[in-house]
Amino acid sequence: MRGGDTGCAHDAFGYPTLVGYVRPMTAAAPVSQPLIKASGLALSRGGRTLARGLSLAAGPGGALVLTGPNGSGKTTLLRALAGLARPEAGQITPDDRGEAIAFLGHAEGLKPSETVIATLQFWAKLHRAAPGSVEAALRAFAIAHLTERSCGHLSAGQRRRVALARVALSGRAVWLLDEPAAPLDSRGRALLAAAVARHRAGGGVVIAATHEALDWPDAEVISLASALESAA
Amino acid sequence: MSALAALFARELRLSWAGGGGAAGPAAFNLAALTLAPLAIGPSAETLAAAAPGVIAFALLLSALQSAERMFGEDTADGTLELYALAGPGLALAALVKMAAFALASLWPAPLIAFFAGLAYGLSAEASFALAAGLALAAPGLVMIAGFAGALSAGLKRAGLLIALIAAPLQVPILIFASGAGRAAAEGTGLAGANLMMTAAASLLALVLAPMGAAAALKGRLE
Repeated sequence: MRGGDTGCAHDAFGYPTLVGYVRPMTAAAPVSQPLIKASGLALSRGGRTLARGLSLAAGPGGALVLTGPNGSGKTTLLRALAGLARPEAGQITPDDRGEAIAFLGHAEGLKPSETVIATLQFWAKLHRAAPGSVEAALRAFAIAHLTERSCGHLSAGQRRRVALARVALSGRAVWLLDEPAAPLDSRGRALLAAAVARHRAGGGVVIAATHEALDWPDAEVISLASALESAA
Repeated sequence: MSALAALFARELRLSWAGGGGAAGPAAFNLAALTLAPLAIGPSAETLAAAAPGVIAFALLLSALQSAERMFGEDTADGTLELYALAGPGLALAALVKMAAFALASLWPAPLIAFFAGLAYGLSAEASFALAAGLALAAPGLVMIAGFAGALSAGLKRAGLLIALIAAPLQVPILIFASGAGRAAAEGTGLAGANLMMTAAASLLALVLAPMGAAAALKGRLE
């Protein structure tokens, strides 16, 4: 998949730069072409229409922040973008985007009996991540001291950091994050913002659903509340 | 391939440590095998005649016993979504997961069957044929139980649904696996044929059950 990224470059902070991760994907597509694009989306959950006529696109380096009140369909939109839920109408391209997506949902997908380091090493192997990416992800979210702790004994914020580290080491171009900052403290939010900035600098895309101000520079904000009103 | 190997290693580790590994199913299996003679009666002849059926049936029940856990936890904790996006696809992930689960939870089953066969009064040869039959049957039984577990993942009273879905599908495996032991005990010369049929039924489950489980899990996600 990513054959040439064994010699991983590092930035000033010692983190591997993401340029090496995403180059094959961005090199294949012209810079102007979006990594993920949706047009004319209609979403529903439990038979209730949440949004209609929703369109969005994000190219390399782009960030979208989805806002809206509870129940406005932020999670449903993220799941549709990930390919986990089928939209009622509309198109999401590319069709084979599953391989490009790193997803963080409400549930972190952590196993209570597994240690943090075993979890991250498993995902690194599954994603064929470059050597050293586990250590880099541990540093990026300041969880190096938790490695031997089992995931069942972590606080909500620590669990979220581990899940974000899993996203970061996946090396995938499109991050879909559902309320990534909700359980995080201010330091955790700063680390998240830094990781997002690095990912974007490397040509990646971040789409996050959130209630809080994330303070990500020049992220495009899409309000689902207005989409809901236009659907009603 | 390395992704599937990593998945297999993780699932093996998780069902070994977190899920209690083989202890639960083995205890269930042994309890059934200990209690059955008390219900059947003291006649040694009757007991030996019933042995292949009782021992195969005890394995079937122990395979069903933990089916609810197989996909229920993954559905609840978000792991399922991540596996769906992982790359190999849900069907392969389900196959690898169920194979790891079968190995971790039912590895003692052939040993239990062999010694139970001896204890019930079967010859060593018949006990061995029965144990071989159950070794071939175990993966298929787990695959079918896993398919039923995937269909009922996240539902209340999943256990009831699993028993209703899985039991009829497991019938051929049960018949041929116990048939191998019975044929060896009666010296009909059909033990080999029964073993082949057990393997065939198990392989069929190995191919079809992961695809069925993946379709069920996909429906659960959407």
